[in-house]
Amino acid sequence: MIKLDRRNFIKGAGAGGATCALATMLPGSLAALEKEPLKAVGKEVASICEMCSTRCPISARVVDGKNVFITGNKEAKSFGGKVCARGGAGHSLLYDPQRIVNPLKRVGERGEGKWAEISWDEAYKMMATNLNRIKREHGPEAVAFSSKKGSLSGHFFHLAKAFGSPNTFTHGSLCPGAYVIAAKSMFGTKLKRDLGNSEYIINFGHNIYEGINMSETRGMMKAQSERGAKLVVFEPRFSVVADKADEWHAVRPGTDVAVALALCHVLITDKLYDQAFVERYVVGFEAFAAEVKAYTPEWAEGITDVKAKDIRRIAHELAAAAPHAVVDFGHRATFTTEEFDMRRAIFAANVLIGNIERKGGLYLGKKAKTYNKFAGETVAPKLAKPGVEGMPKPTAKRIDQMDKQYTMVWKNGGVYQSILAATLEAKPYQLRGWVMSRTNPMQTMTDRAKVLAALKKMEFVAVCDVYISETAAYADLILPESTYLERDEEIADKSGKNPAYYVRQRVVETIGNTKPSWQIFKEVGDALGLSKFYPWANMETLQLAQMNRDDKALRHIKEKGYVSYGKPLMLREPSMVAKFTDTYANARTPDDDGTYASALKFKTPSGKIELSSAAVEAFAPGRGVIRYRDAPLKRADELYFIQGKVAVHTNGATHNVPILANLMADNAVWIHPLTAGRLGISHGDAIRLTSSVGSETSYAMVTPGIRQDTVFAYMGFGSKNKELIRASGKGLHCGNLLPDSTAPVVGMNLHTTGVKVEKV
Amino acid sequence: MSKRYVMVHDENKCIGCQACNVACRSENGTPEGVTRLQVRVEGPFGQAPNLHFKYHRVSCQQCEDAPCVKVCPTGAAYVGEDGIVTIKEDKCVGCMYCVAACPYKVRFVNPETKATDKCNFCKDTRLARGELPACVTVCPTNALTFGDANEPDSEVAKLLNTKPSYQDKIHLGTKPRIYRIPTKRGGIES
Repeated sequence: MIKLDRRNFIKGAGAGGATCALATMLPGSLAALEKEPLKAVGKEVASICEMCSTRCPISARVVDGKNVFITGNKEAKSFGGKVCARGGAGHSLLYDPQRIVNPLKRVGERGEGKWAEISWDEAYKMMATNLNRIKREHGPEAVAFSSKKGSLSGHFFHLAKAFGSPNTFTHGSLCPGAYVIAAKSMFGTKLKRDLGNSEYIINFGHNIYEGINMSETRGMMKAQSERGAKLVVFEPRFSVVADKADEWHAVRPGTDVAVALALCHVLITDKLYDQAFVERYVVGFEAFAAEVKAYTPEWAEGITDVKAKDIRRIAHELAAAAPHAVVDFGHRATFTTEEFDMRRAIFAANVLIGNIERKGGLYLGKKAKTYNKFAGETVAPKLAKPGVEGMPKPTAKRIDQMDKQYTMVWKNGGVYQSILAATLEAKPYQLRGWVMSRTNPMQTMTDRAKVLAALKKMEFVAVCDVYISETAAYADLILPESTYLERDEEIADKSGKNPAYYVRQRVVETIGNTKPSWQIFKEVGDALGLSKFYPWANMETLQLAQMNRDDKALRHIKEKGYVSYGKPLMLREPSMVAKFTDTYANARTPDDDGTYASALKFKTPSGKIELSSAAVEAFAPGRGVIRYRDAPLKRADELYFIQGKVAVHTNGATHNVPILANLMADNAVWIHPLTAGRLGISHGDAIRLTSSVGSETSYAMVTPGIRQDTVFAYMGFGSKNKELIRASGKGLHCGNLLPDSTAPVVGMNLHTTGVKVEKV
Repeated sequence: MSKRYVMVHDENKCIGCQACNVACRSENGTPEGVTRLQVRVEGPFGQAPNLHFKYHRVSCQQCEDAPCVKVCPTGAAYVGEDGIVTIKEDKCVGCMYCVAACPYKVRFVNPETKATDKCNFCKDTRLARGELPACVTVCPTNALTFGDANEPDSEVAKLLNTKPSYQDKIHLGTKPRIYRIPTKRGGIES
């Protein structure tokens, strides 16, 4: 470990308080340390990326003690040993002089940018004093805990639980939540898509050629280039995925649900649907069929601008390719307030073509327990969950559970933005403290002004991050986490059609005074007097407990980094079942048709796919059956404002990473030539966008690759805190234009709104 | 037979994600502000809805008749036994004749070494270790293929024999060894 040498700190940091106004060098940043060669842990280390939330398996090698060459881990076949630009830039984050490597406390006003370095002991004391005071005076529920979902949110939420607060949140309601909740309401579980084996793919703006998810990106490219699959894209903007498609339909923003319903209408009306499948596996078909009767392609054309004859033709093509075809349920699910029915309508189209557990369709993940049961032997070890006994049960209700319609949301990360009303209006009760880990709501939650007001109103805010993010800038205390290249973590489940595990391992020795967040939150627990809930000593003991103390199996996973067990299995695919039964002598006997179709059960109240749901009707009256509802997203005199992902950045997280910031530092606004012409705007002109909540300036990119009634910008730019020196003030801040709005049932934040555009 | 290393860039499979660009920087320690390799996403061209982007790889073309080598007064820019155009840093005097002579505008002065620099197919690093160039190694969609075109069974030879391809600015007689498989609008041509 590099020693912290006080003499190496810049003069401006001062000896006593180590405070300074923000200049070129931040106190507590890596720049304040003397640069020393990276110390590699091994020659080539298999690990897990963290430059976005896909968390691809990687392999990393230190080059000349200066940087790290990162590529994909070849053990993970569907990832192909590949890595994207963000993944390849991990060392740029590791060695960014602006990364925070020492705990910091605020010494000026909140957000003023005055920081002092403190010891971990002092940081923990601050946590204990503040959190325990709020708990004593107002109850533990007055503190909200929010975190990026993933490897370490478990440790973070364990702290929340031990502390006694029910108010835990992930990024879910700001991005992917709706499709997960839609899937759970219909299938009782999440579903995965088998893009690589598909022959016909319908895609509603799921831009996996820019928002790269390595195995899916590769899967779709494989389907397109090797299988000749047809790709049909509905998206208001000409994205890279639209470019690679056979057909691009510039659908009106937020109206995708009408296209999906019209596809279902044609599948049912023209009797193209898989009647045997529906008969066997589906309840609620009649109610759904009665509802979609009115949703003709002609009706949809009026709403979506997609031609009726195209919708009809596409439905027929989809059915012809079934069951090796898929309607992609997307990722970012914040297009409309009708997200619940949009994602359900997409799933319904998949159900109608009977692609569940078929190649090229949708399938249920096969973890060790399920897989071993089918195989009749232990093919994959089961991961043990080292539980802690006697965890306190929170007495208070979650702030997002007063409204029954959000019943399904809390298990999926909660309605994150409900923190705003709870803090600003005490609805349903007052929040007073906010602890965050690797989450940046100032960028990713809508209505920046409200988020800012909420942060300022809090009595105590603590943020664990690698940078002084736009959110961390308003904290009282910053807990610096080690980068993923410096951390060891638990074994993670990566099962797909067969079980698989992988593990994050440190590649270089820790630089500076950072810690992995599992350790930070264990030590915070100690400081809060909650030690009894942390019976493990370190990560090694946790990993061993996961593997039921099987040291050999653990070493195997660590050596390979990624281990897959058995052969891919889809229950209704005869060829796969045949290979499976050939491999495992004691495997379950197939049905007469050579499949495991009779074993396909769903964790819904009926045990079947619930195309219409009585359970949903009970907690959200009127919502049991999938239905179209108008969702006004802008005023007549406004343009739609939509956003999307770019391949070189991760929303709200990577914009200060040097290599990535150099590749793309700001976000131009895409505007159609005719729209630009009417507004007197030329390519490159500075323009202002004004919405109901905010105003932002950027510059125009005049392009035919966008609808005339729509403007687009890539998300995550325009940070307003001065600590992110490379990102600050560059480009347009999307969250500052989007109003605070929450979709029914799924609790999603809304990312489509109306704006007025003018030249400045 | 001598080696003839070539690279094939399939513009159908390329998604312009810059994974190649970043991997190149990591492997070759390319300093900020200069680049050996990037893919420019140009366009869209055409009439909506029949638009298309062009995915344009910008890097040394490894010309068989390289203008940079011809103009170099010191022999710093040279063709190795493997046919790869590369640079002897200690012989470079920084006259920048090669930078001016390159019709593809891909040579630059490295601000750290003060010598000219550009893509050399990772000759000293990855090729020396028997590995593929960094860009090829990481490319998410397998859009890049590298190998010896004189080897009939090589992947590059097979690709060039079966797919239409083009090279940039061949009228200059430079004989570039970066081949490009052009985009076929409307789906991915396999």
